[in-house]
Amino acid sequence: MTNRLRLKPLGIGWLALPGAGYLVLVFALPLLALLASSLFDAEGAFSLAGYGNFLGDSYNAKVVWNTLKIATSVTLICLLIGYPAAFAMARAPVAVQGLMFLALILPLSVGVVVKSFAWTILLRSNGPVNALLLQLGLIDEPLKLLFNERGLIIAAVHVFLPFMVLPIFTVARQIDSRFMDAAATLGGGPLYRFRHVVWPLSLPGVVTGCAFVFSMAVSMYVIPALIVGDRYQTLPALLARAYLFMRDRQAGSTMAVMLLIIAVSIVLLSSWLGRRIEARQQRAQEAA
Amino acid sequence: MSTLELTGVSKRYGSQAVLDRLDLRVESGEFISLLGPSGCGKTTLLRLIAGLTPSDGGQITVDGQDLTALPAHRRNIGVVFQNYALFPHLTVGENIAFGLKAGGLPRGEIAGRVREALQSVKLAALTDRPISALSGGQQQRVAVARALATRPRLVLLDEPLSALDRKLREHMQIELRRMLRDAGMTAIFVTHDQEEALVMSDRIALMNRGLIEQLDAPQAIYAKPRSLFALNFVGLSSQFAGTVLAAADGQVRVATPVGEICAPGSLLPGSSVTLAVRPEAMRVGGSATASDNQLSLPLSDTVYLGARRLLYFHSAAAHGEDIEALQIIAELPAQDQAAPHIGERLQLSWSVADTLLFPATPQA
Repeated sequence: MTNRLRLKPLGIGWLALPGAGYLVLVFALPLLALLASSLFDAEGAFSLAGYGNFLGDSYNAKVVWNTLKIATSVTLICLLIGYPAAFAMARAPVAVQGLMFLALILPLSVGVVVKSFAWTILLRSNGPVNALLLQLGLIDEPLKLLFNERGLIIAAVHVFLPFMVLPIFTVARQIDSRFMDAAATLGGGPLYRFRHVVWPLSLPGVVTGCAFVFSMAVSMYVIPALIVGDRYQTLPALLARAYLFMRDRQAGSTMAVMLLIIAVSIVLLSSWLGRRIEARQQRAQEAA
Repeated sequence: MSTLELTGVSKRYGSQAVLDRLDLRVESGEFISLLGPSGCGKTTLLRLIAGLTPSDGGQITVDGQDLTALPAHRRNIGVVFQNYALFPHLTVGENIAFGLKAGGLPRGEIAGRVREALQSVKLAALTDRPISALSGGQQQRVAVARALATRPRLVLLDEPLSALDRKLREHMQIELRRMLRDAGMTAIFVTHDQEEALVMSDRIALMNRGLIEQLDAPQAIYAKPRSLFALNFVGLSSQFAGTVLAAADGQVRVATPVGEICAPGSLLPGSSVTLAVRPEAMRVGGSATASDNQLSLPLSDTVYLGARRLLYFHSAAAHGEDIEALQIIAELPAQDQAAPHIGERLQLSWSVADTLLFPATPQA
């Protein structure tokens, strides 16, 4: 401990400087500029009109609701699909695990624009997905999967799934199978073991994964733009419209700030949750 | 208090039989050790009894009830795992309560049972501590308390002391034995440590290659090993390979590289055998009677062990690299006399009754 204290003033701390400087330059300063531009009107006078207009327009409430609804659905579906997949991956033999890992990581190297376009082809009324469903006799007429929430959720889940699987996989890999054995010999059935051992031990990974996916889904722009277009507005789309078509800097930056507040509060909430989960262990280490 | 009975229990992984039609009966309240080298199947057997690994054949019954098809959580068999497997996200008290909650005990009763369980292992003050704040010995006791709290029919212990340092381990051997006796618990204890098995067990099941080589009280395992494997796994001995010259009056006379040695037993002349003598049966010096086996050898090494001293002799007849087989060991109380000098020629003798006779087997 004394060793570390002595090293601190001139040691490790300096290594963070380039990164911190870069972040200040390209992130913190522009963020301040953004905040400022939401508070000044076109003539450069201080004005809260941007926030007034935004909060006063009930259409915006609808758009925020859409945005949150989509982001929440995408997060939950990613969790539902990603959780078992992460555990299957963690328990798979090494060779299979490598393949699964590849299948998870490779798609990340394909741009979001490409993936979204691919989905517009797949999800068309006469596209392969509908053709398959018709062929199987599951549906009588083509499902409408494009230009609506359904298609948006399908595509977004596909794009963001790896960010749910990876943190849960990391945690799942560390859960000792002997905990399951112990729980079983103590009389815990499969459901009880999941509820009281697997789930609590994997919760840190779940919280991280949800924070990742939610913050990305709440601010996604390309996927809704390509899959739904203008008919279904989300906050990022509205924001882009304010900048690009309306040329209204104040309205655009106001929405950007609102979006930021939503995303940051979700991340803070989830990390607070995560810390609460580990609080017990931390208290312990202090006591010991 | 429960009786466990295994009949024809088998387990194979691929083409390799880990357990081969094994039978074992453990009496109510008995403490039995499964002792054997790693890979002998002892841990697999434990997991089979607990229901954590499915068996490939045979029957497992407790008090006459067939458990073979029941999953682990319906068997009510407590297990103490090698590294304890205490739940890291729960406190000491919550770990103990885990099985009680899973069993659906009413809340009020759980609190009382947790207190009782922790008192029995003298850890009541640590109820609200997280597992990470406990020492190894404390974790070990929590693991035992957790396994016993549900009042299982029997308890299985998988090398529960191997992670402790020597002094604590010796203390816990006695302590664990006491706790289980107080609870009147039938216990099966897996270990590869012969001393631990000798200290703790009512009976020892010595395992080798998926079978029980010998099932006996610790004294019998040590004094009357039924095979060379048993002889070598538990304790030290001097060993002589030889051929039977003559058999008469329940005794055989055997020609060995160090001369003729007599042993109790009856085998046809010409049979290949191995003779063995435990170090403490050897007498050093001149008090031999005419009927005793006798050797005169130069001392090659001594090892001081506090209360006793081991003397090592290498037979002059040792030829080639086969020295190990002809190493002769005697044991003396260390306080009795000054250590003999290395190189000094000493007279060794032991009574014929203390000579163990093993017919040579192809793999031995």
